[in-house]
Amino acid sequence: MGVLSARSYVDDRPADGVFRVHRDVYSDPELFELEMKYIFERTWNFLTVETQIAKPNDYITTFIGRTPVVVMRDAKGNIGAFLNSCRHKGATVCRFEKGNAKFHVCLYHGWAYDASGKNVSIKQRESADYPAAFDAENHDLIPIAKLASYKGLIFGSLSPDVPPLEEHLGDLKFFIDLHMEQGAQGMEIIPGRVAYTYRGNWKMQLENGQDPYHVDTAHGSFMAIAERRRKGQGNTAAQEQDWQKRNNVQIGAYEFPHGHTSVWHDVAEPERRAVYASLDEIKSRVGPLKAEWMVRMRNAVFFPNLQIADQIVPILRTFRPISVGVTELRSNVIGPIGEAPEKRAARLRQFEDFVNPGGYATPDDITVFADCQVGFGATGVDFLQGYSRGIGASQQGANEEAIEAGLHPVSSVKGHRTQNTETGTHAPFREWVRLMEAGMAGRKAYP
Amino acid sequence: MSLNEVELLAAGADLLAREAAYLDERRWDEWVALFAPDCVYWVPTWTAEGTLTTNPQTELSLMYFAGRGGLEDRIVRIRSGRSPAALPLPRTTHMVGNILPLEKPNSERIRLRSSWTCNAFFPLMNSSHTFFGRAEYELALRGGVWSIAKKKTILENDRIPMPIDIYCL
Repeated sequence: MGVLSARSYVDDRPADGVFRVHRDVYSDPELFELEMKYIFERTWNFLTVETQIAKPNDYITTFIGRTPVVVMRDAKGNIGAFLNSCRHKGATVCRFEKGNAKFHVCLYHGWAYDASGKNVSIKQRESADYPAAFDAENHDLIPIAKLASYKGLIFGSLSPDVPPLEEHLGDLKFFIDLHMEQGAQGMEIIPGRVAYTYRGNWKMQLENGQDPYHVDTAHGSFMAIAERRRKGQGNTAAQEQDWQKRNNVQIGAYEFPHGHTSVWHDVAEPERRAVYASLDEIKSRVGPLKAEWMVRMRNAVFFPNLQIADQIVPILRTFRPISVGVTELRSNVIGPIGEAPEKRAARLRQFEDFVNPGGYATPDDITVFADCQVGFGATGVDFLQGYSRGIGASQQGANEEAIEAGLHPVSSVKGHRTQNTETGTHAPFREWVRLMEAGMAGRKAYP
Repeated sequence: MSLNEVELLAAGADLLAREAAYLDERRWDEWVALFAPDCVYWVPTWTAEGTLTTNPQTELSLMYFAGRGGLEDRIVRIRSGRSPAALPLPRTTHMVGNILPLEKPNSERIRLRSSWTCNAFFPLMNSSHTFFGRAEYELALRGGVWSIAKKKTILENDRIPMPIDIYCL
């Protein structure tokens, strides 16, 4: 087989009301290779949160696509990010998920680097009879091309040809603010990490967060649980929203440039939201508009590797593509620094109940992703039909809520909760086409 | 060890074996009934390679239920027939061993540690996975019957490639 033009995989004809994505986008290993090269390695990726490397010499290891990366704070407190690969034979230099170290010594041949990535030792250098050409080379860890932070979130790019971070984020900054401005003293990642893999393509989790349509079927078992909890039975400490009341609210979606997107919906029981008890303090600090948006359920995507989600409690969930049909997810729960103990506990119970691999939603999601991946084995079919809900309600530019919030989306959708718009998936696929097309044509990702 | 202590530990080991067997045999009501109504069921997460979360009120858990109601929820989910993750239900075999007392048992409280494996076959994926770890139990005598008052389950292989539920732990 062979890869066709990027555009041929996404049938995007707004004038005809058509948006369809070809099944091969999720299952073709050749396309996956190109995605790594032309998407993950040529744009900004979310790396970590500054509070994870708060002290000098703290470090955390992660990946951009398939490239191992270490993010470090050096002795002076400056943040750097480097390819986590020894210059000598390529072994990962930082082998742990996180830690604190003044020096990183490769365990293969003992080359050592300090927390600024500088090579500080080449074992037995004096007796090596190295040629002058070797001495002329730089031996430091290789810094990634771009590194920048916004509201404590650290992003990096393997390619230097990317727009400045804040320009790239655009209105997604608003949705990051809604996460990171909830605490008067800032927000932190709550200790404990959740990492799991599923047998499906990376874009499935990205889309799943933009897909309110699946919730009452894929998570149908939760309806039975919710019914019990209405009667005061079961794990009522989880304080989940009443799903019957949820169906009577407004829903919306925004498409932003650079593949970013967000769906949102109003809540019937704001008092069950983790943010609710602090609303007065939040209003006084960030104003009533942002406070109101913090109460709304939101699920924003930073394309390509981060969900900024708050359907239950605010989380940062990263997708790491392993292969065309295997993806690793990591969920970080964030909470206000200095949060009252009972509120912190309630936040944890809400998360664990639902979006944990042992919760009521995530195991179902990852199982149906695997079902899809099997289904993509079907031959003789081309385009999927899962992107059209809400198109009839789509308007160019900002709608009323967006204007009020000062947002400038490419398009806006609003409707009754059961409209369950699927338009939140369009922006990522439009950017997918743009970046893949640029890559395949040998053009820069950002002209 | 006194004869009484041996009997108490045997009673504890029996309870642990039944807990595992009931899960494998899908005797859900009998499984739930092994737990005290005010039990604590806790599965901490790892914070990195070598350290576990130690406080479920301030740190993340894979599961944390204060009260049997949280376990009853899980059974309602399994029986609902509406959870893709449990359709079909994985077939499981638990093995529980290395049961040792954590303190001298008495006629009101037995504290034990165990090592466990759970081989789970997922028919949907035609694939097996072994979950494994250790557990700490506190058993309490309630109305003449030993019940599980606290269970802390440590999942050693926590980079999870399959959906997890109470029957995998």
